[in-house]
Amino acid sequence: MVILSVDGVECRYGSIKILENVSLTFKEGDFVGILGPNGSGKSTLLKSISRTLKPTKGTVLLDKADIYAMKSVDLAKHMAIVPQESNIGFSFTALDIVLMGRNPHMKRFQMESEKDMVIVRKAMKQTNTWHLADRPINELSGGEKQRVVIARALAQEPRVLLLDEPLTHLDLINQLEIMDLVRDLSEKEHLIVLAVLHDLNIVGRYCTSAILLKDSCIYAAGPLDQVLTSANIKSVFQVDAIVKKSPVTNSPYVIPLSPQKTSLERKCAIHMICGAGTGTLIMKALVDEGYVVTAGVLNTLDTDYETAELLRIPTVTEAPFSPITKETKFANLGMINQAAIVVVTSVPFGFGNLSNLEAALQALKQGTRTYVIDEIPIEVRDFTNGRAAAMFAELQKNGAIFIKHPSELPTLVNATHKSIELCKLDQTEIPGHLKDAVKVVHSKKQEAK
Amino acid sequence: MSVDEVQKKYSKRPYRWKLILLTLVAALVLFIILCLNVGFAPISFSDIITIIGKQVPFLNQYINPSSVSVVNEAIILQIRLPRILAGAIVGAGLAAAGVMYQGIFRNPMADSYLLGASAGASFGYTLAVLYGGTLAANILGMGLFQIVAFLGAVLTVFLVYFMSRVGNKVPITTLLLSGIVVNIFILSLQTVFELRSGQALMGIVAWIAGGFTNITWTSIYTVFPVVLIGTVLAYFFTKDLNLLSMGDDTAQHLGVNTERVRQILLLLSSLVTAAVVSISGIIGFVGLIIPHMTRLIIGPDHRILLPTSAIVGAIFLILCDSLARVATGASELPVGVITAMAGTPFFIYLLRKRKTSYSL
Repeated sequence: MVILSVDGVECRYGSIKILENVSLTFKEGDFVGILGPNGSGKSTLLKSISRTLKPTKGTVLLDKADIYAMKSVDLAKHMAIVPQESNIGFSFTALDIVLMGRNPHMKRFQMESEKDMVIVRKAMKQTNTWHLADRPINELSGGEKQRVVIARALAQEPRVLLLDEPLTHLDLINQLEIMDLVRDLSEKEHLIVLAVLHDLNIVGRYCTSAILLKDSCIYAAGPLDQVLTSANIKSVFQVDAIVKKSPVTNSPYVIPLSPQKTSLERKCAIHMICGAGTGTLIMKALVDEGYVVTAGVLNTLDTDYETAELLRIPTVTEAPFSPITKETKFANLGMINQAAIVVVTSVPFGFGNLSNLEAALQALKQGTRTYVIDEIPIEVRDFTNGRAAAMFAELQKNGAIFIKHPSELPTLVNATHKSIELCKLDQTEIPGHLKDAVKVVHSKKQEAK
Repeated sequence: MSVDEVQKKYSKRPYRWKLILLTLVAALVLFIILCLNVGFAPISFSDIITIIGKQVPFLNQYINPSSVSVVNEAIILQIRLPRILAGAIVGAGLAAAGVMYQGIFRNPMADSYLLGASAGASFGYTLAVLYGGTLAANILGMGLFQIVAFLGAVLTVFLVYFMSRVGNKVPITTLLLSGIVVNIFILSLQTVFELRSGQALMGIVAWIAGGFTNITWTSIYTVFPVVLIGTVLAYFFTKDLNLLSMGDDTAQHLGVNTERVRQILLLLSSLVTAAVVSISGIIGFVGLIIPHMTRLIIGPDHRILLPTSAIVGAIFLILCDSLARVATGASELPVGVITAMAGTPFFIYLLRKRKTSYSL
């Protein structure tokens, strides 16, 4: 069993601490993602493990042997490094490059033997680069080149593989192929793999564990579900994120949300009558503009419901595939009353959600400014034998503003919102008798409390 | 070519390399004999072979000593042969040093004068001519001027090296920049002294232009061991040079002690350059073009590149020198002019043809 341990490592550049008191242990088969914001010490950690940067305190042990006391050629028999970018001075062929991986195993005057060639061939077949053998390395694409460099690392027959941002400049398919390959290697060859990565989702999908660095220290380390949490991501990257389990890969995946523009003044409330994804873009745009957005009635698991949840928009909800009941309609009306503007999107209307349209009409009659997005003619999306169309006509008659395209809405609202009384909606102010019916997704503020 | 053929080609590589080297050595010997024929006095090949044969132990008992004239023998042995051998040694030294510099700097634009060996040698020579001429001392059998030129070259390279030292490392970029700066500085000093040199100016300019007019056997005996030993020692590190081309960090991760290798190779290449410059003056382009051209033909592997470049450099320079001897009739051109004239167009052609950019 090969064990790599980082023992109280501290690195400084002059008086600036780059890494502080880092202690970690890795064993065979570990595939560890090293994460952290720029300047948190990820690369320095990898450099100290790869013997490129000697720590000012502490050391790194490979099978209890201090790597800083080893000869570089001896360490190279056990540890291989794939750098972020390989800039190769002369036009060596791919095979030349991979053969160089055999250097630590060769004597000074030894030429590459048949045995070396067998190992190199295996490494190149594993990385799917054997067909590139006689191509000059500098004429290969980024992905091919990176695979050749991984083959060179494998030709070293290492027990530890270090990757420093190996996916930089690679397109999606190459990123996935390289990560698939590395995961295979860690599983089948029982390598210890440490990779500095930027993409939380790549780590979530491929690694067995992760290290999260913040301000030169380890913030969290361990199994993915303990490291990749909303709270950790918020605290380390200052980004709100939702962490879910992927239904396809059963691995955690992270949906980062754009940083909130806190400097904006709080604008009035807008209530969305939407569904089936027709409100997604508008909700996002309005939230970004700084409006307080509410929505309802939405069936849970509807696309717009999920968006509302992501954006932390308060919603009135109904069970999936169920018609709107009187209670939820009432709750929805309560929410509409708090709003200065109501927006009706191009959602199809059936008997299940017709009462949303009734609510909009009621709000309009009470003097709430109402925008109707009429992107798709109502006749096409009216599944109520003309009742929805009739209500549309009435909306128009009562002064609702009809818009042809959803993208026009934020501009229109921006132009007029100052004339509208600022909203007073706050989740705490929802009338007591509605509280049970209104599902409020807790705001960050409340979470903090 | 299929991939399996590629593999076969690689497994036969040691034999192919040996064959290339043997062929090139044979070619060198052939060119030396051919060039012995070039010159103002017509001497036939049979006479040349007889004269050379007389000098070879065991072989000389079969040769009739009186079959060639004493004058012809003197021309061949005291004038042409040392000159041609000097050309071969200087060409080999410059090309080998060029390979080392290009490998160390990971850049095919580096040449053997990169770190100021040429400027230092010229300046040393100029000082010796201006202020040491009356001494006319002969130390170690070599001319004083040569020794001062050698010292100038070595001191300049060491100055550049120690200027670039940061802690116990010598970063490549710093080294390159210090080389450029020191070169410019010494050249400006050189100009000052040249302007004050009066009558001696012609001699200084002619020496700097490079050539083999005053070659003696003594200078060959002194310089040949330096070039030979330097190149052979450098060969020990050719595998490391291959690895260095992937950058310092990667080379280290593959087991190369990069700082030490670089120090040793800089020392060797600088000594070789200084030694050849001291007998030939500044002959440009050999250290730049020969490694470059050889690399295009046989590939970038330094294990074969270093020895082939050395032999090709030797052949190239004796051909250029022969041309210099006969090009303009009785008065000869400096060989540095010929190498530059032959080299520049070729180099521009290579650059235009391979539009790949080079990076440090």
